[in-house]
Amino acid sequence: MGMSYRRYLSGERIYGCSTCKTHLATIHSMMSRAFNGQHGRAYLFDGVVNIVEGEPDDRPMTTGQHIVRDIYCIKCQTVLGWKYDKAFEPSQKYKEGKYILERNLLVDVQ
Amino acid sequence: MRFTDLNRGLPISASSDGSPDHAGPSSLASGSVVDGPIAVTNGHTNGFGPMTNGSAVMGNGVQKRGKMITKVNLPGTTLYNDSMVDREEFVRLVIQSLRDVGYIESAATLEAESGYTMESLEVSQFRRYILEGLWSKAEVALETLGVEDEEGFWDAKFLIRRQKYLELVEARKPTTALHVLRNELAPLKVDPDQLHTLSSLIMCSEPEDLRNRAGWDGASGTSRQHLLDTLHEYIPSTVMIPQRRFTTLLEQARSYQRQKCVYHNPRPNTTFSLYTDHRCSKFDFPRITTTILEVHTDEVWNIGWSHDGNYLASASRDKSAIIWRRGSSNNSTSPGEWTAYLVLRDHQDPVGCLAWSLDDKVLLTSSEQVIKMWNASTGACIRTLEDHTETVTALAWLPDGSGFISGGLDRKITIWNADGKLRDSWGTTAIRLTDFSITPDFKRLIAVGMEDVPPYYPPSEPTRDGSLPPGGVSQPVTKAAHRMLVFDLATKQTEFSVKFEGDLTSVKTSEDSKYLLINHSPNEVQIWDLRTMRTIRRYSNLKQSRHVIRSCFGGVDENFIVSGSEDATVYVWHRESGDLLESLKGHGEGSVNSVSWNPKNERMFASCSDDRTIRIWEAPGPGMYAQDASSEKVPVQPSSASTLVEKGKGKTKQASALDGSEGRVDSIGTWIAHDHHI
Repeated sequence: MGMSYRRYLSGERIYGCSTCKTHLATIHSMMSRAFNGQHGRAYLFDGVVNIVEGEPDDRPMTTGQHIVRDIYCIKCQTVLGWKYDKAFEPSQKYKEGKYILERNLLVDVQ
Repeated sequence: MRFTDLNRGLPISASSDGSPDHAGPSSLASGSVVDGPIAVTNGHTNGFGPMTNGSAVMGNGVQKRGKMITKVNLPGTTLYNDSMVDREEFVRLVIQSLRDVGYIESAATLEAESGYTMESLEVSQFRRYILEGLWSKAEVALETLGVEDEEGFWDAKFLIRRQKYLELVEARKPTTALHVLRNELAPLKVDPDQLHTLSSLIMCSEPEDLRNRAGWDGASGTSRQHLLDTLHEYIPSTVMIPQRRFTTLLEQARSYQRQKCVYHNPRPNTTFSLYTDHRCSKFDFPRITTTILEVHTDEVWNIGWSHDGNYLASASRDKSAIIWRRGSSNNSTSPGEWTAYLVLRDHQDPVGCLAWSLDDKVLLTSSEQVIKMWNASTGACIRTLEDHTETVTALAWLPDGSGFISGGLDRKITIWNADGKLRDSWGTTAIRLTDFSITPDFKRLIAVGMEDVPPYYPPSEPTRDGSLPPGGVSQPVTKAAHRMLVFDLATKQTEFSVKFEGDLTSVKTSEDSKYLLINHSPNEVQIWDLRTMRTIRRYSNLKQSRHVIRSCFGGVDENFIVSGSEDATVYVWHRESGDLLESLKGHGEGSVNSVSWNPKNERMFASCSDDRTIRIWEAPGPGMYAQDASSEKVPVQPSSASTLVEKGKGKTKQASALDGSEGRVDSIGTWIAHDHHI
């Protein structure tokens, strides 16, 4: 995979990995707070940094069938949420290419 | 052989026929005769003056100087029919060269035979007057030398009188000097400032003081010769040929051939021959893997040679650093054998940076925000330094050896004493450092790095086109800016700052402290001129998108640029022309992360890769090709070298040249493949 450095974000509110504080996303790229993950509340983001994406996986969700990938912290490998590759319901298409981060796995960092 | 040839061409065939008396009455002392022909020749060129040569000529009865030589009349004016070279110019330069080295008679003979004279009597007198300090005569002679314009004539006069004045001041004859200043220099209507400067020199109490202030090395130094060189600019070169003109032209030929020699990496003591154009062989270039070092259990991210060139340190994602040594101390003397001498295992995270102390006694490593100092002969961890709050990305010892500097993604540059005590901090820099380099002259620190990713504002309407980026590590939401900063090391002030679009992952400085080498994503290595702060060369072909890829200078006079690449290839360019010389295959899948040229061996460098190995690249040497025809066993030393195993620490596998390199068809590759089938 090669060596790479983590990215650092700037802005009023930065969300980081609760395990290792690695920067992940800012409030500016948050699209919705109305999601649920395995650990409770989850947020939908337009863009996330410093993550590794897993293999695509077919998963039935409350809003229908989706193809998603788990996303891991690049530093500590903690599973942080998932990314939507494909939504089959037309009403859910807007989620494609977007990321879910679980609120309980995030901390505010600066 | 050569001597005989020479003798045939010369009338002095004194001792080749065994009868030294022929050489002339005074030419040989009895002792030198028995030394044989070479001693005789030496005697002529060094020990004996032109008269001896002259008598040798007479003794052989060939010609009598000046009288029997008839001028040879040649048609045309060029050296050859189809040549651009003017015959008169050529011959006059030859005469000048002959005279310079002391072949006075030959020069005279050539003058007589060609009808060309090197220079007129007036010119040689003028030269002598200047060198002997006969200023008034020199000025009179100057009138006859055809100085083209009036102004040049006065300038030349001024230069002569200036020398005269300075010599008088030096000789402590202020009254005469003043006279020269008032009556000879002042009337020349020179720049008043210049005259003022000259007049102030008369106050110099010591000759030493005068020489320093005037930037002039005195009557007994080179100043008269220097004056003569300067006067050449005013006198037409057809009248007075510039000094050592032939040599100047040959030097230019050499310099041109040197520029055209893209593989230029000569072994020490290689001489420049006039007989053939200079060209270094491609096969003298380190393009063959002679050893593969395989002990790391994960990607190897960085490598660095000790200053004595005998050790190589490697940093790996497997959380260890290894010090490799060429040749094992106990059971082998083979220089081609490498051993994993010390495995340094205390780090909790992948190891990213390395730096050898100037005496090679201490190795620094960094892993995330932690720096460790190791005893490089015992492998003991001396100190653990925790000042940085984010990943340390660069380590470098100060050129005076008094300490070292670390830089990191926390924007900090920290200076440490050699014993690991915190000395000083730079404060927070404008960038998160990804690398830095200190110029060897200790004047500057050049840092590269990134700024923070600015806040991203998503479009008001979510995109619904459903297109997907390919998997892998996600791209940043928006692009961060990257920047190179040049600091003055003494003042810590930023001298220069420039913004880049893509990642900057490596910066190196040239030995002469004048140039920078940086890796810039995507797919580019650049050289910057530190004096003008401009890019002067770009090297392409490599692949670099999101990973840390490093490059280095290498070879004799740092003639080459080498870089890792994300396509498992090592790229080598000719520094001056930017031409790609080699795309060296061999590493397995993934990136070649770093390269490092051996500081003591211009024909060796190393590369490290995601494939968990380090490759040592060397020149094949002439022996390998000789063996090719006889289909003997592979003579490459490392292939037969025994496998080293440090107990319980993994294996070092020695591999033959180009082992694992597929699809590379050249004579060596095919040969080795062939050998493997036997």
